[in-house]
Amino acid sequence: MSILLPLPGGRTVEVAAGLALLAGLDDGPGLGPHVARHGELPRVSAEQLAALAASVNVRGRGGAGFPFARKVAGAVESGRRRVVVVNISEGEPASLKDATLARVAPHLVLDGAVLTARALRTRTVHLVLPGDQPSVVSAIERALAERASAPGLRADGVSWTLHEARPRFVAGQSAAVLELMAGRPNLPVTSWQPATESGHRGRPTLVSNAETYAHVARVALLGPDVVPLSATSEEAGTTLLTLDGDARNSRVLEVPLGTPWVRVLSPDELTSPVLLGGYHGTWASAGALLDRLVCRTDLSAHGLTLGAGVVLPLTEGCPVDRTRRLVSYLASESAGRCGPCVNGLPALAAAMEALHVHGELARGTGDPRTEVLRLADLVDRRGACAHPDGTARLARSLLSAFPDEVEAHLRGRCDFDRSGVRRWEVPA
Amino acid sequence: MSRGDRSLRVDWPACRARGLCYELLPEAVLLDDWGYPRVIEDPIPADLLADAREAVRVCPTLALRLVPAKR
Amino acid sequence: MIPDGPLLWYVNRSTGLVLILLLTTGILLGVWSTRGDAGTRVPRFAVQSLHRNVGLLSLLLLVIHVVSAVLDEFVDIRWWQAVVPADLHYEAGWLAAGIVASDLIVAVALTSIVRHRLSHRGWLLLHLTSYAAWVVALAHGLGIGTDTGSGWARWTYATSGVLVTGAVVWRLIARPERPTAPVTPAAVHHDRIGGLR
Repeated sequence: MSILLPLPGGRTVEVAAGLALLAGLDDGPGLGPHVARHGELPRVSAEQLAALAASVNVRGRGGAGFPFARKVAGAVESGRRRVVVVNISEGEPASLKDATLARVAPHLVLDGAVLTARALRTRTVHLVLPGDQPSVVSAIERALAERASAPGLRADGVSWTLHEARPRFVAGQSAAVLELMAGRPNLPVTSWQPATESGHRGRPTLVSNAETYAHVARVALLGPDVVPLSATSEEAGTTLLTLDGDARNSRVLEVPLGTPWVRVLSPDELTSPVLLGGYHGTWASAGALLDRLVCRTDLSAHGLTLGAGVVLPLTEGCPVDRTRRLVSYLASESAGRCGPCVNGLPALAAAMEALHVHGELARGTGDPRTEVLRLADLVDRRGACAHPDGTARLARSLLSAFPDEVEAHLRGRCDFDRSGVRRWEVPA
Repeated sequence: MSRGDRSLRVDWPACRARGLCYELLPEAVLLDDWGYPRVIEDPIPADLLADAREAVRVCPTLALRLVPAKR
Repeated sequence: MIPDGPLLWYVNRSTGLVLILLLTTGILLGVWSTRGDAGTRVPRFAVQSLHRNVGLLSLLLLVIHVVSAVLDEFVDIRWWQAVVPADLHYEAGWLAAGIVASDLIVAVALTSIVRHRLSHRGWLLLHLTSYAAWVVALAHGLGIGTDTGSGWARWTYATSGVLVTGAVVWRLIARPERPTAPVTPAAVHHDRIGGLR
């Protein structure tokens, strides 16, 4: 079954029931059904929590894939007064999974946070919410109120501090989140030490996103045996995917890791190019996902990335056009703090424009591809956050995944126009 | 030339492209199209370490640091 | 043996006038060092080094200027009044201005010597009071200075004023601090949702 949730601006997201995090979709977001399904919150020590997380290899679902157990260990090693931060502000506009989780299964997220706080022997939990999504804010506030008024069901014993993140692409980045919590502008700064060593007010801080905490909670509440094992033994469990996140109607679904993409996407989507990993991701050319699995290791072995589970199939339109619009958007979303990013991304966007505008090569005005690659190398890893890195990755990926389409553009031709759909030829 | 154990890192929000690091340490710093430093990622060789420390000291916005090199 | 006669007074006057030139030069060098064109004819590190040395020299001359005023028996200035402008007898207003200016200059110089132990922002805010210190120092010189009436002194003040004003105007107008806000290429406009299906 599935439910339809409204989003700002008349958009919708369809959420399908799943095997784990979204198993209780039918029950609704209330505390009673959640406790009926998951039981009491166990008390676990930091060692136990890390062991649990490691046993099923819980990796961060915010895009970086950092092992949760290592974060716990890092926070424990670094000192006493620890801080737990749940990042529910996704930053990336095409990612809806954390916001959706907050609306349909808030108690799973909050349970994960409480478990982690207790394991780290702290009462300080911060929730970072998307400021432009009032439904998420009210869903969390409602869930917190439920827990506060039903101590028999959940006696948390933590103090919750809520923050609202600005609706900017880079606002969800870890350092930017810590800045917001410190009362400064919600933008990235250079981080000289990991947050687990010195984060909020110099204290060991564990920052992770909503989905990660939900996975941790489920493993702790129901035991590691309920986690579905995957075809590859690398990663167990499920992951949330957002399909068509920036379209009018999107979908969020839960998929066991290791599932073949042919079981996730429609034939139409599989035979189209897919931008995998969001706006900082890479292009899978038409048909490239036919033999691939929803699995970090399988994808990275083929030059692809899962990122935060953002899947953007390009069933109509031109990838060159789509990419140059995205790069232009990403350039405008620079925090404006780092010289190479502030200057380099608009230059990269201009080079992408030159690439897209028909006929540069035909006119003999030089090859914009070399300029795109040069600028991509110039901005890579030269900023306080990974925004220029991700933008460079996207630009390079266009050139390597669609050399023919790019060449066609440079010779004054585009085989796609908005009105018609050209069917891709999928290599046999 | 022995391999050192420190490398240079730029605090990007602090950097104002004044260029003193490039002037003092051209062996390890180049400038990009907009005057911002392109710093080598490898550890600074031992014989350049003194110049590297000077470059760090001289930066008008304290945007350059010597940090333990990544393995 | 404290020298008698007008020697201390001459030391005080001369250091005062030279200080005007040094402080003005210091400001000009400071503004010039904010230019970002590295490696051109005059290297950035050379300008910065000059700025620093002029600053240190100013500090030295300031100390001599203040000490000579305190030691001189012709005017009644106590040691503590070198730092705190209170209970002044001789030309109270202009003298107070001088004391305030010297406090600021000493603070700027000392914080610059230990620049690396401070946050850049904190250091910078204090450093910017150099402009105010310069204005107050010039007012002090004009008001209290024995030589103010003479032509060459007036010429010195006027030139200093023009140069510093020009430098400040240039700094504010011709050199917006980088990085600036990103400029989106004119071709495509986006709202928060990039992609536009």
